[in-house]
This record gives sequence, structure tokens and C-alpha cells, in this order.
Amino acid sequence: MNKPVKKPVTVVTGFLGSGKTTLLSRVLLEPEGANTAVLVNEFGEIGLDHHLLRRSDEKTVLLGHGCVCCTTRDDLVEALLALLDEEDRGEIPPLDRVVVETTGLADPAPILYTIFSHPVLQHHYRVDLVVSTVDAINGALHLDHNPESIKQVAAADKVILTKTDVAERETAQNLIARLRTINPSAALFEAPLGEISAEELFRPVDATHRSAPGAGEGLDGGGHVARTHSTSFTFDGPADWAAFGIWLSMLLHARGESVLRVKGLLDVGGPGPVVLNGVQHVMHPPQHLDAWPDEDHRSRLVLIARGVSSGEILASLKAFRPLVGAGPLLLEADIPV
Amino acid sequence: MCLLCGEFVPQAHWTDRHVEDRARAKGADDGGYTRERRRDRAHRASLANEVLKHYGLRVRDWGGSKYVLSDGKGNSELVGDLGSLWPAATKLAGRTLDPLDPVLGERLRAALE
Repeated sequence: MNKPVKKPVTVVTGFLGSGKTTLLSRVLLEPEGANTAVLVNEFGEIGLDHHLLRRSDEKTVLLGHGCVCCTTRDDLVEALLALLDEEDRGEIPPLDRVVVETTGLADPAPILYTIFSHPVLQHHYRVDLVVSTVDAINGALHLDHNPESIKQVAAADKVILTKTDVAERETAQNLIARLRTINPSAALFEAPLGEISAEELFRPVDATHRSAPGAGEGLDGGGHVARTHSTSFTFDGPADWAAFGIWLSMLLHARGESVLRVKGLLDVGGPGPVVLNGVQHVMHPPQHLDAWPDEDHRSRLVLIARGVSSGEILASLKAFRPLVGAGPLLLEADIPV
Repeated sequence: MCLLCGEFVPQAHWTDRHVEDRARAKGADDGGYTRERRRDRAHRASLANEVLKHYGLRVRDWGGSKYVLSDGKGNSELVGDLGSLWPAATKLAGRTLDPLDPVLGERLRAALE
């Protein structure tokens, strides 16, 4: 029996007024958007007119002893199950994709947790992309004052810079440098007037996407939420997967709410690397690739954490070196963002 | 659903995923998978013990489906994977096991190097 293909879910997040709805309303007008279901929190002023639009009020169920990221979004479970039912009954065309638009203040981690952990949803859906919109004019202000905004950028696979048509070029450039520092692993796009094609928006970022070169350059350094740090590192040889799993699962247990993101490729001595991708406590199922995507066969990992310095991470990995079988090497210094 | 204990297992922990995925892959050899899985679990338990011993704890494989975590005072907890090992270890040790703790780092260095 063939394994059913899981439907891709794209999570669109972004701070209040950063242009999520504008972006979606344009993209869904394209033919590629025809069989895309959209779950929104509220029908906003800019009417999203689409036949597969569903409303889903954020109903978060905090599990016993759970932290905020390990919560189940009941509304999302209901809405995604209902879509499967409707599709089965032939009431809606076969879905190509589901887009979940979050509220501006939402933390994307519970959405991922819900889909990865629900006994039915995990077999029918996969989160292929987290997209975060950032307003080129007010983005810096949001990052300065709202930790949620940093979380959203840290969780993103793709960051879409909106309103670049009206923002000063210098402001936009400074913001881009800062976004690269927060999340060097994200692909960055500009969308003046919300113009980005469906193909470009939904195209999965290559799981093996490597950090942007020159990440961290052009920072002004001061006045920001300086407790968040991004650490890029590699290993001086192949790492033992079981030992690295012990270190990382232990770290996520002890500091899961501080670790905003883990992403990268890990050389475990096999023919290809392991693709790691996690948002807070919530890890995507790691992919063990059959081959390396390019000539560079070194591990390359990015860890974005709040209140944890690169020095602490490196010191810990050095202490674990005899277990992991390889020592860490810092690629980019401790950069406060 | 686990046929032995009747427990509902919603998904493999991410650290177990590679062995489980190989088992589900077409043409997987049952015997080979069982051997690999057993080896993997023994290896993981032995590595985890290098960390757990600094907290007076020990873990061992239990029938290939669970791990038994115990302290030196006769307390034990049954855990399914690394995801549930750390909360159980925190409960038995009475404190969070933090890999960034410099005291643990020093102890690991002294013990392993």
C-alpha cells in the first residue's frame, strides 16, 4: 500500500500590522492558491475572499506541567480534522495545502506541536514552512519591544520583509542585517506592496539551506532585546547521533523555553547529514539524508537562545565531547540581538 | 498501540525516529532492524548513564520497549524515550538536569578525559 502523501501546512506568522493578510490575499488570487485552505483567526478589515477560508479562534489547551510551547491548539485540531472530513466527502476539492495564519501575538510553537503530536493530524499533515512577515518600517520597533516578534523571526524558515516600497532604504537594510543576526538560517525575501508570488511564498526552503553569508554584519549593537543570542557552530568531526540527541533533548528539557530555535545539518558519520529543525521544545522529525547537498560535508548548526550565551553552549558541548565524539567549533561569535 | 502493554504510543520521539523510519522503509529486514534497535538502545543507555551517574541515577533498557530509570534509594521510573527521561530524572534527582550547568561540565570532563 502506498503511503498517503501528507498535506503541507504553511504557518504564516508576523507581528500586528506586518502585512500577513495583505500578503495572503494577493497570493491566494493566483491559480496556485485555488486549492489552498486558509485558517485565520479573525476575518479582518481587508476581506480575504476565498472559498476555502475557515475561521479558527485560538483555543490553547495547556497540558499538565506543560510549558507554553507544548500546548495543543484545540481549534486547529478541529479545523484540520474538519477539512479532512470535507475533502473525504467530496464537499471541497482535494487540498494542495493548508495555510494557518496566526494572530500577531501568537507563538508559532504550539501550532507545530499540535500537528506533530496529534495522533491523526501527524499522519495527514506536515508543517513544511513557517513564514514570518516583518514590516520594514516598524519591524525594528517590534523587535525592540516585543519578545513575541523575536520568537516569530527565530521560528521562521522564510522571513518576508513587507512595506519595503515605503520604507527608507537604510532602515530596511539595517533591519535585514538584524533579521539575519536573529535567524541566520532563514531565507529572506522582500515583498513591496505585499507582492510575492504563490510559488515563491510556498516553495519549501531547501531543508539543507545554509546560513546566509555575512550574518551578523552591520549591527548597531545597542538598545535591543540583548538577551537573545544566535550561535552558529560546527563540529571537528562526525558526531555520535545518540550522544548529540542526549545533549539536545537534555538542553530542551532544561532550557526549552529559552531555546527559540535549533536548525542545521549534523554530520553523524553516515553518507548524508541529519537535518535538524526545532522551535523551542518542538522538534520536526529529523531527516537522515542519503547524501550531502553540496561539497561542504561539515556540520553546521544554528541555535537561537534567550538568556544563554554562545560561551555556555560551547563549554557544554566541549564537556560532552568524549560522548559526542567531536568537539564544537564556533562559526559566528555570540551576537546579541 | 503497543501490543504488549496496551499503551497508546502516539509517535516516536525525535531521537528514535531514524531507527523507526528504517523499520518502516520498504524491504526492511526484521531481524536486522531488531538487532540495530537493540544496539541503539544499549548504546544510548550507556551514554545517558555517563551523565546520569553525576546525579546518582542509572538507566537500563527494559525489554526493548522502555527504559527503567532508578536512583540508589530504591526509587525507579519507567520511561519510554529521551523525551520522558529528563522529566523523570528531574523528579528523582530533585533538580533539573541542565547540560549547561558548569558543575556538570567539570564532572564530565574529569570523568571522561
